[in-house]
Amino acid sequence: MSIEEGTFVQKYDLLGCIQCGRCTGGCPVTVRTPLNVRRFVYDTVDDDVLEELSEKPEIWDCTTCNTCAIRCPKGLEPFEVLLGLRAMRAEEGNIEPTAITALESMFNNGNPWGKPAAKRMDWAEGLDGVRILEEGEKADVLLHICCTAAYDPKIQPFVGKLITILNAAGVDFGLIGEEEKHCGSEARRLGEEGLFEYFDEENTELFGRYDVQRLVTLSPHCFNSFKNEYTNLSIPVLHYTQLIAELIEDGKLELSKEVATKVVFHDPCYLGKKNLVFDEPRYILSKIPGVETTEFFRSKERSLCCEGGGGKMWVESESKAPRLAETRVADAHDLGAQTIAVACPFCWLTIEDAIKAKGYEEEMQVKDILELLGEAL
Amino acid sequence: MNIVVCVKQVPDTSDPDTEVHIDGTGRGVDQSKFSFVINDADNYAVEEAILLKEKHGGEVTVVNIGSEAANQVIRMALAKGGDGAIRLDDEKFAGSDPVALARILQAGIKDLSCDIVMTGCLASDDGYGAVGVALASLMGLPHAAYVKTVEVLSDNKLKIGRELEGGLLEMDEIVTPCVLTIQTGGNEPRYASFKGIREASKKEIKVMDLPATGLSEDQVGEAGSVAVMVQYSVPEVGDLAEILEGDPGETAGKLAGILKDKGLV
Amino acid sequence: MHEIFVLAEHRQGELRDVTLEMLTLASQLDSKVTAVLLGSGMDAFASKLASFADRVLVVDDPMFANWNAINAQAALVALINKDKPHMVIVPNTGQGADVLASLALELGASFTSDIIGLALEGDKPVATRAYYGGKINGRIEFKDAELYMVGLREGAIPAAEGSKSGAIEKVDNPVAADATDRKFLDYEQPAIGDVDITQSTLLVSVGRGLREDKNMPMVEELAGLMGADVSGSRAVVDAGWLPADRQVGISGKTVKPKLYLALGISGAFQHVTGMKGADLVVAINKDPDAPIFQYADYGIVDDLLKVVPALIDKLKEMKG
Repeated sequence: MSIEEGTFVQKYDLLGCIQCGRCTGGCPVTVRTPLNVRRFVYDTVDDDVLEELSEKPEIWDCTTCNTCAIRCPKGLEPFEVLLGLRAMRAEEGNIEPTAITALESMFNNGNPWGKPAAKRMDWAEGLDGVRILEEGEKADVLLHICCTAAYDPKIQPFVGKLITILNAAGVDFGLIGEEEKHCGSEARRLGEEGLFEYFDEENTELFGRYDVQRLVTLSPHCFNSFKNEYTNLSIPVLHYTQLIAELIEDGKLELSKEVATKVVFHDPCYLGKKNLVFDEPRYILSKIPGVETTEFFRSKERSLCCEGGGGKMWVESESKAPRLAETRVADAHDLGAQTIAVACPFCWLTIEDAIKAKGYEEEMQVKDILELLGEAL
Repeated sequence: MNIVVCVKQVPDTSDPDTEVHIDGTGRGVDQSKFSFVINDADNYAVEEAILLKEKHGGEVTVVNIGSEAANQVIRMALAKGGDGAIRLDDEKFAGSDPVALARILQAGIKDLSCDIVMTGCLASDDGYGAVGVALASLMGLPHAAYVKTVEVLSDNKLKIGRELEGGLLEMDEIVTPCVLTIQTGGNEPRYASFKGIREASKKEIKVMDLPATGLSEDQVGEAGSVAVMVQYSVPEVGDLAEILEGDPGETAGKLAGILKDKGLV
Repeated sequence: MHEIFVLAEHRQGELRDVTLEMLTLASQLDSKVTAVLLGSGMDAFASKLASFADRVLVVDDPMFANWNAINAQAALVALINKDKPHMVIVPNTGQGADVLASLALELGASFTSDIIGLALEGDKPVATRAYYGGKINGRIEFKDAELYMVGLREGAIPAAEGSKSGAIEKVDNPVAADATDRKFLDYEQPAIGDVDITQSTLLVSVGRGLREDKNMPMVEELAGLMGADVSGSRAVVDAGWLPADRQVGISGKTVKPKLYLALGISGAFQHVTGMKGADLVVAINKDPDAPIFQYADYGIVDDLLKVVPALIDKLKEMKG
């Protein structure tokens, strides 16, 4: 193993930890799995046991929801230690077959879903107002679609809604097209640091080809990687909720149709806890005529993760306890919400599953904010 | 124990949404919307070869017939533990049937000393499942097809398990050198990390064209083949499911009939 | 009239169905059909094959009690060189594919493997093969040769009833010495009770449409009747109705059965990705718009709780 002496200690500032336990105390997956992140922060100080620790199945239970980091009084990011352990496993090639399939597809196809790169724009078939930028072409906004939105038939329709909204608001925007690639977020969370660095380089080069002012993403996961993890990306990055909030505020987007439904907003971890974007989605919802909003008891910084991130789309926990998304759906049900609004493809998929699992299909739906906006236009 | 493992890069047509369109010539397919991967069975062959190397020492040489694009699968195999690679690349190789392919492979590896030659048991695109056995015949070596387990008994003897229909394993002894065609499912192919693949890019891939193989034009491609695919056609099946109509008794009856006709019950 | 040799396949005391399928195919080609039977204690098989062939050539010798590619090839070379048939059909199976290419090369035959159809155009055979997982077919033409050989895919041709009464001809074992380079040892049965769904030939797979745990025995009864294994969607595994190793999909297993009977599975692409390799997909779902119907060959739009009991009845009826 190529972990150098003291690497974890320095890389994750382990000696800064005071073992207060606020991380594990707030960790949402502890109700489902044996994961104790405080213990890992403590144990990984010793280089000799890193190998052994990397073999523990619970390192894959972490959803990287950022709760531990937000609660840490010393400003550490405890979950990053688990990603470091995953990276050891990935470098040895010793990871779950389902994760291997996703990672190999990222390398071969530029997306984790095993889909050909040449089909990345299939969602746009029959849609008007889709402009693929040429090299050097000028636009205000470069729109990044995200692999899940581009390929998952359940999510694809949201992209069309976003295109319609941006066109309605007169936004000067363009797309990359078939050359668009995975952001690398899920590669990194599955332990593939090297592959993440590759996407960092490739995408930075790709975005640099266009004369654009801002990069707008559909997924909070891409948003986070571009904004916080890319090493040399200078262009400002926004999540679509930020752009749309701005358009509404500037009076560029008119929401005229009534959407009568009681909505509770589920904060996507990578938008909320990770990037503190709490207000824009709520502002948008407040501007949709007819929408009545309510709040989860656990919202914003205390929001409960849906377990869609952190590579969890490809690695299952062994736990038989209810998924966090089911808890979330039950809470929404108690609030009498008819719609759980989300702003993330992973959240949409996990919550849809949970609604089915709870048998609430007749009473409530999950909707991306883009769907609600589409109804209001 | 030196092992040669033959790998093929194939379109990943296993995706349920993959459409295969016959091109204008009727003898090829439109490849523009494909993604390309290592053939599934070959991936297991690579893993088996590397497991044996890790246990018994020796070298693993990766051999491929393909264009430069195939370097992708070769490098993945090198990253997993392959020591060297040969890529046989000449446009005259196009249209080769399993016999011509085996002849090209034989020419490519003739100077290597090896104990086991492995191929995948079947390619997912053309599905011949014949190259490995043909190669054994050309090399004058014993062979076994559909091998799922390999155990080294002595310097020149292996115990192998051949997977037959229904999952039954036929256990055989075979002497080395020999050719084994490897079935899927006998091991768990490891992941080749990106860092490993980048490292592996430094390893040389020896490229051999037709003159380098010492073969003549009439030994390769269609000219060197004993059977040639001359025309693709679309099988008669609808895109959507054929919906069986009627009340539960009727639909169940129709379904039972279909399953019986297809020999599934 | 041309003669066609058909290599009979048997294993552990049972004649395998593909043998009758090959003989049926050969009988459609207006030729003299000779079944070649290599084995030990072959009288019963020989009699059975006689009603499907014009001639049954039997080498009855302990050397052939179990399959050995080297011994089989040596025997077939001798028999073929003696009688000089126009064509040889072998099964494209664990046995046939173990010998087809090397036998053909030794005999200088033009051959192809894994065919799903065969015709004679004049004197020459023309074969049909499947490509790209069966998405398209291809027509195969052979280089002129004295002998043609093909491997027939199991299940590609339905076996007809036998209507011939061929002569049984026993010949001496032409192989002088048992092979030393390769030896048969024994068979190992796959572990029983520990089902590996990635290896299952038939799968009955259930989804959320099953609604309740208590409906599971009905599914198990159906699977039992069909000789199928039971698998399921993530939802069903999550609910604890099936163990985790029965889960099909991106986060579960990738399966490649001959039949995937999807009961109450909607067909999210994360699930479909795990079952894309199935040869035949049948879906029962009450939602006519369920995506699973896009991937199914046959569909029934109805409640599985109504169709499955009816299907159980029909299968019981068929089995008498």
